[in-house]
Amino acid sequence: MSNIEISVTDPMVPPSPPVMSGPRRTILRRLEPIYWLGPAFLLIAGVVITPVFFMVWSSFRNIDSVGFDHGWAGFTSYHNLFALPDLGPVMMRTIVWLVSVVGATMLISLPLAVLLNRQFPGRRAVRMALVAPWATSVFMTAIIFRWMLQPQSGLINIVGHALGLLHNIGLTSAQADWLGRPGSALVWMIIVAIFVSLPFTTYTLLAGMQAIPGDIYEAAKVDGASAWRSFSAITLPLLKPAAVVALLINLMNVFNSFPIIWEMTRGGPGDQTATSTVFMYQLKASSIPMAAAMSVLNFFVVALIVILFLRFSNWKERAI
Amino acid sequence: MSVEVVPVTRTSGAKRVRHRRPLSARDWILSIVAYIIAAVFLVPYLEMIVTAISPSNQLGTSQLFPSRIDFSNFTSLWSLGLGTNLGVSLEVAIGATILVTLVALPAAYYTARKKFRGRMFFLVLVLITQMFQPTALLVGIYGEFSHLGLTDSVFGLVIVNSAFNLAFATWIMTAYISSIPVELEEAAFVDGTTRLGALRRITLPLALPGIVTAMIFTFIAAWNELVVALVLTTTPSHQPLTVALDGFIGGYQIDWGHLFATSVISTIPVIILFAFIEGRVVGGLTAGSLK
Amino acid sequence: MKGKEESMKKRIATTVSLAMITSVLGVSASSFGAVTAKASAPKVTITVLGADYGSGPSNTTSTYWQHIAQGFMKLYPNVTVKTSTINWNDYNTKVTAQIQNKNYPDVLQGEFFPQYVSDGLLYPLSKVLSNPNAGSPVFKSSFSVKNVQYAMPFVTSARTMFYNKKLFAQAKISAPPTTWAQLLTDAKAIAKLGKIGYSLPLGPEEAQAESYLWMLGSGGGWQNAKGQYTINSKANLKAFAFLKQLVASGATNPNPATWNRTADSAKAFANGQVGMEFNGPFLTATIASAGVLKPSDYATAAIPGANGPVIKTLGVADAIQVFKSSAAKLPWIKKFMDYATNNANQLAFAHEYALLPGTVSALNSLKNDPILGSFVKALPHTVLFPSSANWTSTVLPAIKIQIGTAVTGNASSVLNQLQTLATGG
Repeated sequence: MSNIEISVTDPMVPPSPPVMSGPRRTILRRLEPIYWLGPAFLLIAGVVITPVFFMVWSSFRNIDSVGFDHGWAGFTSYHNLFALPDLGPVMMRTIVWLVSVVGATMLISLPLAVLLNRQFPGRRAVRMALVAPWATSVFMTAIIFRWMLQPQSGLINIVGHALGLLHNIGLTSAQADWLGRPGSALVWMIIVAIFVSLPFTTYTLLAGMQAIPGDIYEAAKVDGASAWRSFSAITLPLLKPAAVVALLINLMNVFNSFPIIWEMTRGGPGDQTATSTVFMYQLKASSIPMAAAMSVLNFFVVALIVILFLRFSNWKERAI
Repeated sequence: MSVEVVPVTRTSGAKRVRHRRPLSARDWILSIVAYIIAAVFLVPYLEMIVTAISPSNQLGTSQLFPSRIDFSNFTSLWSLGLGTNLGVSLEVAIGATILVTLVALPAAYYTARKKFRGRMFFLVLVLITQMFQPTALLVGIYGEFSHLGLTDSVFGLVIVNSAFNLAFATWIMTAYISSIPVELEEAAFVDGTTRLGALRRITLPLALPGIVTAMIFTFIAAWNELVVALVLTTTPSHQPLTVALDGFIGGYQIDWGHLFATSVISTIPVIILFAFIEGRVVGGLTAGSLK
Repeated sequence: MKGKEESMKKRIATTVSLAMITSVLGVSASSFGAVTAKASAPKVTITVLGADYGSGPSNTTSTYWQHIAQGFMKLYPNVTVKTSTINWNDYNTKVTAQIQNKNYPDVLQGEFFPQYVSDGLLYPLSKVLSNPNAGSPVFKSSFSVKNVQYAMPFVTSARTMFYNKKLFAQAKISAPPTTWAQLLTDAKAIAKLGKIGYSLPLGPEEAQAESYLWMLGSGGGWQNAKGQYTINSKANLKAFAFLKQLVASGATNPNPATWNRTADSAKAFANGQVGMEFNGPFLTATIASAGVLKPSDYATAAIPGANGPVIKTLGVADAIQVFKSSAAKLPWIKKFMDYATNNANQLAFAHEYALLPGTVSALNSLKNDPILGSFVKALPHTVLFPSSANWTSTVLPAIKIQIGTAVTGNASSVLNQLQTLATGG
């Protein structure tokens, strides 16, 4: 670890002494960003960008299913990928997945943050409870939900039967195989995805609320504003930046979300519950270059979403 | 990196207000709603614990609670060598947290304070790293790391986890540092302090909530990372807890009891971490983006 | 608790047998040692990558390979054997990542792909085993390309029908079914008890095996005797028509397309929730560790067919194969392969995971084993998965994903699609 520390701290010293003069100083100035950003840049370039090039390169190669490379293939994989009849439905499902998970997460976490921002006995414990899905790996949360959804022995079905809920919606015990049918499986996986996205989002909004200076509310109170009015006129607008951060991070994470669907249904039956990320993984079993092409496509889709989002929220004009 | 030294202004302010007035009916309703929500959030994890302490022949039957409690899943974990995996997980998570902080902090400071050529490029690059799924990059990472001799090593995992969490850390820190008025630092310059001195004495303490938040994020993400570790490591004693967990889901059998017992154990350090730091995370997430 | 004791006993037995092997070999090592030391043998490193057949550290296959490596290194101190294992679920991800980076193991235990041969990566078996015919001849053709065998069966299994005797008694069924019609009646009777009559795992994990067993029942299969795909044959359609009827009757698990062999079907059987299912010997290990069913609570029988029991059941083998390296290394790898596949090591593996060994001699010594014996006897009468080059690469992934939908949707269109894919590509 120590060598890294040196490379970060030592170069910081030269720019500061004012004795230095002339061209040497300007050169150092020019190089200044390298001292400060170099390590970060190296890490990103080495571990993320290089494999990205490898991924793009593989999408143009003729690699057989065992991983052996038979040479250049041009755009064949892209051609084959776009010819897949399932690609359209998968992309549509991805949009449904993205919009419903991110949308519901934002809608639920706002009142949740408001609630957690108030004083009540045991608030700290409630906040800690909310952290549980965040502290546990998503992989495990998905498995425990699959466990609870087992048709014969799962907690959700047992409790549902005990309360007579399942009977009321016309489900016999055998038919309560939620993950077996694409429709109900997708709904449950969306619920799990919302569940694991809530802590981060709620905490971000909560942080945003706590940063709003109390005196603004005081002033509003003096002016006779109602609670709702001060919420909609002060809290909401001032919360926008925090909400933008939360939304952006969620959009990228939910689009890339893999463990939930993989652990709960493997994208099945067939690819009927696969989003584009899971579909990419399914493709890998039959064609490595096609899976690489799908990864490239996924990147462009998520980049497009992010660009549209940034445009829409005027991100660029703001500080970061 | 001791965290305790820092005065926590925000939470201490809140503490003073607490419990001054008697609870109204509205407060009670609010608390009850909050408790119900908390319960909903805890149910899956309680079920995880219940399953972990059930005798093996009562798993997967339609009983809500086991007829007796059996801790053998927990006690036998240690003889299975999972202590080593726990150690690896700690090393990876702590290592990545330190590395990310050391690398992201200067980058964030510089980006927040300076307008330089390539600033936008750097920020976009950081954003882009967030858009990739490690699963899609696995083969490339494996190839590169096997050339560098970094497969099957804790250090290799530290590097990967640092790189994938650098983006978020840099972001949060940049945002936080930009919210600290430059004037404070400039005043220090006038007093003859060097930039480094100003950074150490003025900016760092003020930015600490942001830094701590970034550190926690990195710790949790590295702690829970599975896919890369699965492909990069081969020796059981070099594998983090997540990979050991995955091993319980075998091709011919699944060891549910140990699977859930291990995940209970793997969640505990994170919860403890949160308990210590909860207030600061809330502060840190504000992330100065609220100017 | 009973199950735990049993698995503990088994574990102790394995450890004892391994200890015996090493001690026996230790003795012989001294006589060997003199020879090898004189030759001043070169330093050699052999890397072994194997699939993990266990479920966690208590029975991980990496322990098994470490024992073999240690035993071998004692015999040949100039050789370093590096072993590692990978969970079956992540096996392909890891192995393809290695091959894509040209980072080949010397010895790979797991799946055999004909592509390895066409890509020029493997040594023929004759170069890496003293007795290239040591493996069960049943699998010779499926591990051969152009009549040259490249991989040896290391682990094998045969499928049969398991049935829950308790549930059969409760439903007043006197004998296990031998025909589909009987199976339907019996499954319905068991379903009336609130259990799964017949557990049908057509989820992606091993849909190819389950559907094959049904196709065999009506004289169909994935390919005909000439090795041509016959996925949409009349016999296969007949099998799926019956499965559709079986599923519609409510006597199976409700959604076969997402019901997997290990996580769902085996677990449900072990918990006493299933009347009948087709499975391999390894199910007995799951039953033992669940501890719900006693050995006397279940039994095995021949797989029922359309008009009578299926004579040829499905046999499956996992391979061991050697990747090309250097001529200098080859003799040492050959010694290692001989050692790793000797009787004692083969049997230790079979007992640990309730699977069958791959060598003829090890199989012969298990003929009277109380658990594995009946499966050993079934093995010579097995049919195998196709060995066409496009089976594992193209057809199999599609089958895993799609075939399960045939029992609820339009079977003939699903089978037609698969046939087109198999013959078109």
